[in-house]
Amino acid sequence: MTPWPPLLALLIVVPLTGAVITPVVGRTRAVRSADWSLGVMLATSVIALVLVVQVARVGPFSYVVGGWVAPYGIELRFDEFGAVIAVICLLGTLAMVFSRRYAAQAMAEQRIPYYYALLLLNLTGMIGFAVTGDLFNLFVFMEILSLSGYALVAVSGEKIAEMAAFKYLVMGAISSLVILLAIGILYALTGSLNMADVTGRLAGAPAAPLAVAFGALTLGFMVKAAAFPLHIWLPDAHAIAPSPVSAILSGLVVKVGIIGMLRVYQIAYGSGAVDMRALNHVLMWLGALSIVMGAFFAVFQDDIKMMLAYSTISNIGYIIMGLGLASSYGMIGASVHVFNHAIIKATLFLGAGALIFQTGKRTLTDLAGVGHAMPWTVAAISVGAISIVGIPPTAGFVCKWYIALGAVQAGHPFFAFALVFGALFIFIYYIRMVNAFYFRQPRDPAILEVTEAPASMLVPVLILASLCLIMGVMGSLPLSFIEPAVQRLLLPLGGG
Amino acid sequence: MRRALVIFVLVAVAIPLMLAMAELPRHGSPDAPPQTHVAPYYLEHGPEEAGAENVVTAVILNYRGFDTQGEVTVIFTAMAAVVAVLVAGGAGVPADRAAAPATTPVSLIVRFIVRVLAPFIVLFSVYVILNGHVTPGGGFQGGTILGALLIALTLIMSESDARALLPQRPQRLLQAAAPLTFFAVGMIGLLLTGDYLAYPHSGPTIWIATLMLTVVEIGIGIGGAMVVATIFRTMGADR
Repeated sequence: MTPWPPLLALLIVVPLTGAVITPVVGRTRAVRSADWSLGVMLATSVIALVLVVQVARVGPFSYVVGGWVAPYGIELRFDEFGAVIAVICLLGTLAMVFSRRYAAQAMAEQRIPYYYALLLLNLTGMIGFAVTGDLFNLFVFMEILSLSGYALVAVSGEKIAEMAAFKYLVMGAISSLVILLAIGILYALTGSLNMADVTGRLAGAPAAPLAVAFGALTLGFMVKAAAFPLHIWLPDAHAIAPSPVSAILSGLVVKVGIIGMLRVYQIAYGSGAVDMRALNHVLMWLGALSIVMGAFFAVFQDDIKMMLAYSTISNIGYIIMGLGLASSYGMIGASVHVFNHAIIKATLFLGAGALIFQTGKRTLTDLAGVGHAMPWTVAAISVGAISIVGIPPTAGFVCKWYIALGAVQAGHPFFAFALVFGALFIFIYYIRMVNAFYFRQPRDPAILEVTEAPASMLVPVLILASLCLIMGVMGSLPLSFIEPAVQRLLLPLGGG
Repeated sequence: MRRALVIFVLVAVAIPLMLAMAELPRHGSPDAPPQTHVAPYYLEHGPEEAGAENVVTAVILNYRGFDTQGEVTVIFTAMAAVVAVLVAGGAGVPADRAAAPATTPVSLIVRFIVRVLAPFIVLFSVYVILNGHVTPGGGFQGGTILGALLIALTLIMSESDARALLPQRPQRLLQAAAPLTFFAVGMIGLLLTGDYLAYPHSGPTIWIATLMLTVVEIGIGIGGAMVVATIFRTMGADR
């Protein structure tokens, strides 16, 4: 049975409209905006589920908004990479639940309805970004998710949060402009904004503008993804934002750069007009640098959220390296790590948020011994830590294994070495964290009196932690799901 | 040293950009792809099938209306961001940081001129909004004119009068007017034609399309004016 075609448009406009109504709903009582936005996310999740099942059964499908035909109207295209919307909906729903108690403590009541509105807008922006088949539409959704992201970092009103948000804003705005420039060049070369149409019309285009366009797209998306020397906005923004926001930013928003790169590859490889080898080489090195440097900085952090933020840079490095390898194993591993890292990092950030909410402390030194006071939360964080290191049978293992295989397959075994080296570093700092929580003497005995987090926080964390394990045990499912998309992508290269 | 570095970086960025620009198809040339591919279709068919004589309106509200729905949401997001970050009661805002509201007395002449011009400005904004499907202009431009008037009135009025300009009760609904109108018209399109944000194409029912486009223009106008005025008030309010 084919679902109703306009469902793909409703996937975007239902949460989009739900978001702009949120402040209206929360006008008299802020808590109503929490109920409302949770309801909107649940409705969106149902639509997303129908679409993901559909793509698993029959492969990619499109819908052109407004009853026109592409390239005259705007085409939405749902492929296997777009299935990331399932994770967006899942994490969005859990972040909404987690925020119920957290937001009341973290920000003034007048801000709460706008907080939920911005959170919904951010998620909607990502959903739109993932499913659009039109370059300018991609830019529009990127702006929705970027703008709301900057504001969400600053929403607590602390001076340091505003500074972090401003740094994020400056870097984000520059990267958006660079991407817009590239879209403009592609339009000047082809006269079209539809991705499939641009792909078909690029052959024979002059080399210099093409090189600048694809270079600019890569640069812009690498800033969004926080690859190593372009990462400077990330640690503060992700560490200082309210914890549910950190989970969304670190788990999902940086992946926008990766999904954007996948779209760039679809155009580049599909058209055959662009030689991506030089860029791929840059990406491999960027990835390797990010893995090592992210892990290196993480080792020296005492602030638990700062450590998680640097760990994100390291993990994004794996994904970028997997893309740059341009081999089927590397690409599959990278794509699946987009899903798995989102779940793992959300477990860790929400778990850390619960710890900070209950204890009021955020450094490893101060949190020593908390494992005895909040056993469930810390157990969930430990599961997340084991997953992110990549110890089988957890979710992190399969992806990293595939990326390592991809490095060998592509004839760059050196990069597999960088990957293992990075994993060792990651192992060190997560061991440090788990050790502090369970085995170090508490600095302040009062920490043992702390009670377990409230259910609205604990349940999302536990759900995510069990998903870390389930995704590990059923690791082959996402791999075989994403494989056709990667094969299609690499087909012009001779099957990878 | 620093200056030399900046100059070096600028030159290093500028050279490839200029090389690329030199190889682009000439801007405005009749053979350039932007003039030969999608655009001719809009020019040729827009006036009959899109319900707007003004082709720009046909493109932004009809052919690429979904983009514009996203754009008005970007504008709403900017306003929500300003309100969420600046509205009173941030955890870390000390009392002395409160910005003083403009205390400079407004001259009699400015007050008089704004008051005299106000009805004409309203009339002009309504004209720009409603005529957007025929002439250049439309909801964005008309809404900005209306928003500018609200700001001008805020400057010359007392605090309590100015507050009444943005009515408390429907305020939040009006701020979202543009995206909400888009959603409503999109759903009506879904009912009428079976496609989201579709308007009846050509034929005797084209007037329905024109009507729907006008409704969208009004929504964009009201929403745009409210957003501009709200951002101004939030940023100017003492906190």
